[in-house]
Amino acid sequence: MAIVEHLASLLRKPIETSDEAGERSVSTQKTGDESGNTVIVAPPEFRFMYPEFLPDPAPETRNRLREKLERMDMLQRRSVIEIPEFYTGSIMAVTVADANSPNKFARFVGICIQRGGSGLRAWFILRNVVDKQGVEILYEMYCPLIQKIEVLRLERRLDESLLYLRDALPEYSTFPLNMEQERRLNNSVVPINPIKVKLRPRPWLERWERQNLQGVEDLNLPQRFYDKAEKVAKPWEKYDLMLHYRKTIPAEEQEKIFAEVHSQLQQQELKRKLRRRRGFDNEQ
Amino acid sequence: MVSSLAVDITPSSKAFKLFFNHEQIRTMSRVKRRTTHPPYWHVLKNNQRDDEKISSDNLRFVREVIQDKYKNKSPIKGSDLGIEKTEWDPKTKRSGVIARNIGMQHMWEKDGKKIICTVLQVLDNHVIRYVPPEEYANSVIGAKMFKNRKPLGCLVVGAEATNPDRFTRQYCSLFNEVGLLPKKRLARFIVTPNAALPPCTPLTAGHFVIGQAVDVYGKTIDYGFQGVVKRWGFKGGPASHGATKFHRRGGTIGTGRDKARVWPGQKMPGHMGSERRFNRGLKIVRINMKYNIVYVKGTVPGPTNSIVQIFDTILPRRKFTEAPPHPTYFPPEDGTLPQEDIWDSSLHVFGSPSISV
Repeated sequence: MAIVEHLASLLRKPIETSDEAGERSVSTQKTGDESGNTVIVAPPEFRFMYPEFLPDPAPETRNRLREKLERMDMLQRRSVIEIPEFYTGSIMAVTVADANSPNKFARFVGICIQRGGSGLRAWFILRNVVDKQGVEILYEMYCPLIQKIEVLRLERRLDESLLYLRDALPEYSTFPLNMEQERRLNNSVVPINPIKVKLRPRPWLERWERQNLQGVEDLNLPQRFYDKAEKVAKPWEKYDLMLHYRKTIPAEEQEKIFAEVHSQLQQQELKRKLRRRRGFDNEQ
Repeated sequence: MVSSLAVDITPSSKAFKLFFNHEQIRTMSRVKRRTTHPPYWHVLKNNQRDDEKISSDNLRFVREVIQDKYKNKSPIKGSDLGIEKTEWDPKTKRSGVIARNIGMQHMWEKDGKKIICTVLQVLDNHVIRYVPPEEYANSVIGAKMFKNRKPLGCLVVGAEATNPDRFTRQYCSLFNEVGLLPKKRLARFIVTPNAALPPCTPLTAGHFVIGQAVDVYGKTIDYGFQGVVKRWGFKGGPASHGATKFHRRGGTIGTGRDKARVWPGQKMPGHMGSERRFNRGLKIVRINMKYNIVYVKGTVPGPTNSIVQIFDTILPRRKFTEAPPHPTYFPPEDGTLPQEDIWDSSLHVFGSPSISV
C-alpha cells in the first residue's frame, strides 16, 4: 500500500525519475510568460522522441485544426498501447493480430531501417534475415491491429536511413527472433552504434557512393564513380537556408505542438509505470 | 448522347454513312466547359477601393459602428424560430451545408482494414433567405431548372462571417434583412417546401446522420495549362531510340479523309482542372459535434482548404429510409450537450483496445 501511495504521489509532482527504458531525464521546464503565469514547455528532445507529432511541412496540405484533431486521435491510441521511443538502428519486436497465423498473432523482430510519415500515417520498416531470406515489413504505428511494440535494443546508427543494409552482407541484418529485451546502461543518452557495415560487391540497389553514408565501410570503387558522384553532387544545398526551412516545422510551432501533447504523454507514461510496478509487486 | 451537329444525320442522308463509319462519337464537343466570371445579376462583391488613409480614431469609430450594428444575438433555439412542424417523407429534399475540406485522415474499420477519410469542417452556416417555389420558378436559373417539372424552393445559405469592410455596400445589403455579419461564401440549395428554414437558422454538423451517404460538390484542383499527356492520358512518344522532339506530344489530330478537318472536341493541351464535380454516395463515418467536423469515407473534389458543399445523396439505393433531423438539427432545449464524438458502428474507435482477429 505504501508503494502505491508513493507512486500516486508521483503523479501529483513533476517527474524526476529516470528509471525505465524509454524515459530519459524528462524534466518539465516551467518558464514564465508575460503575465507571470508558469507555462509548461516540453523538453527539446521531444522532436526526436515523437517526430510523428509534427505535421508534414508542405504548406498546401496544412490545416491547424485537422492536425490538432489528428494529435488527439494519436494520443487516444497511445493511451491503449505503448509506442516506445525508437530510432533507425534500434532493434524492435512487433506483435500483430493476424488471421492466418496459428495462434492468431504474428511476432516479428527486426532492425528499424527507416521511419517516416506524420500523424496517424506514421510508419517504420523492420528488417531481418530469416532462413537466409531477407524480410522487410512496413508497420503503421497507429494501426489497431498492432498488439505490442517492444524496443529490444535502443540505439542509433550513424545514418538516418539504413536502406544500404539491403546491399550489405546478411550478417548485419540478422537478429535472433527470440531476442530478449536488453537493459539500458545509461538512461539519459541514446547510444550511437559506430559500426561500419561491409557491402556486398556490386551491383547494388542504389548508388551508395553518391549518398554520403557514414555507416558503411570504404566502398573501394574505381575512381570514375567518385568523379561522377562529385559532378552530380549538390554541395550548395547545405548552405540553402530556405530549403531546410521549407522541409521543417518552425521551432515556435514545434514548441506549441509539443506543449499541447506533453502533459498527456507524461500522464500515460506514469500510468504505465504504475501498472508495471504493481504487476512486479504482485508477482513477488 | 450524340451532340447536335450542323449535318443531317438521319439514316437516309449521305452524311449518315460517313458519320457512323467513324469509331469515335464526339460528345461534349460544343459544350462550354466552365465560366470563370460570375453571372450578370450578381452584385459586385469585393471592395474595389484602395486602402484609404484613415486616422486611428476614425477607424475605432468605424469598428464600434460595426459592432453595434451586428451585436451578438442569443443563440437561436429551435422553438424560437417558428418552424411549422413539418413531416418528413422520402421525397423531401433537405438543405445542404457549406464546408471546408481541411485534409485527409486514416481510420481503421473493426476488422483492421484501413480507410482514407476526408475531414470536412462545417463552417458557420446561416440561412440568409428562403425563396418559395413559385417565385424561384420565375428566376433565370429556376426557369431553366423547372422547365417541365414541379418547381421547388431555394434556400440561400451563407458561411464564413467576415468584416463588412472587405465587401461593397451592395453585397452587405444582402444581409441587412437578417442582421448577420456578411458572409464570404453564399450557396443555394434546392429544397422541398416542407424543408424550408427561416432566415438566421444555423446549420451545423448535426444536420447529418452517422452512416448516411452524402454527395459532395467542389471545384477540382486547378492544374493550369497542361499538356496532352497529363490532361488526357496520352502516351506520348518514346524517350529514346532516336525520337526527335517527340516525347510528350499529341501526335496525329485527324485522318485527312473523312470530314477533312479537325473535329470539334479533339483532345489537345489546355487548361486542366477547376471544374465543377460531384462525388456521390460518400458515407459519413464520424461526426465531431464540438468542432463541427464531418469525416467522410472517400475523397472529395478540390484541394485541401477549399470550400465544398455537402448534400444528402440522390443515389436511389442510398437515400434515407428513416427520418433525418428534419428540417435541420437543433441542440436539445434542456441544455444537455450532445455526444461530442459520434463514430459509425463499423469503425474502430481509437481509445478502444487493439483489434484481435
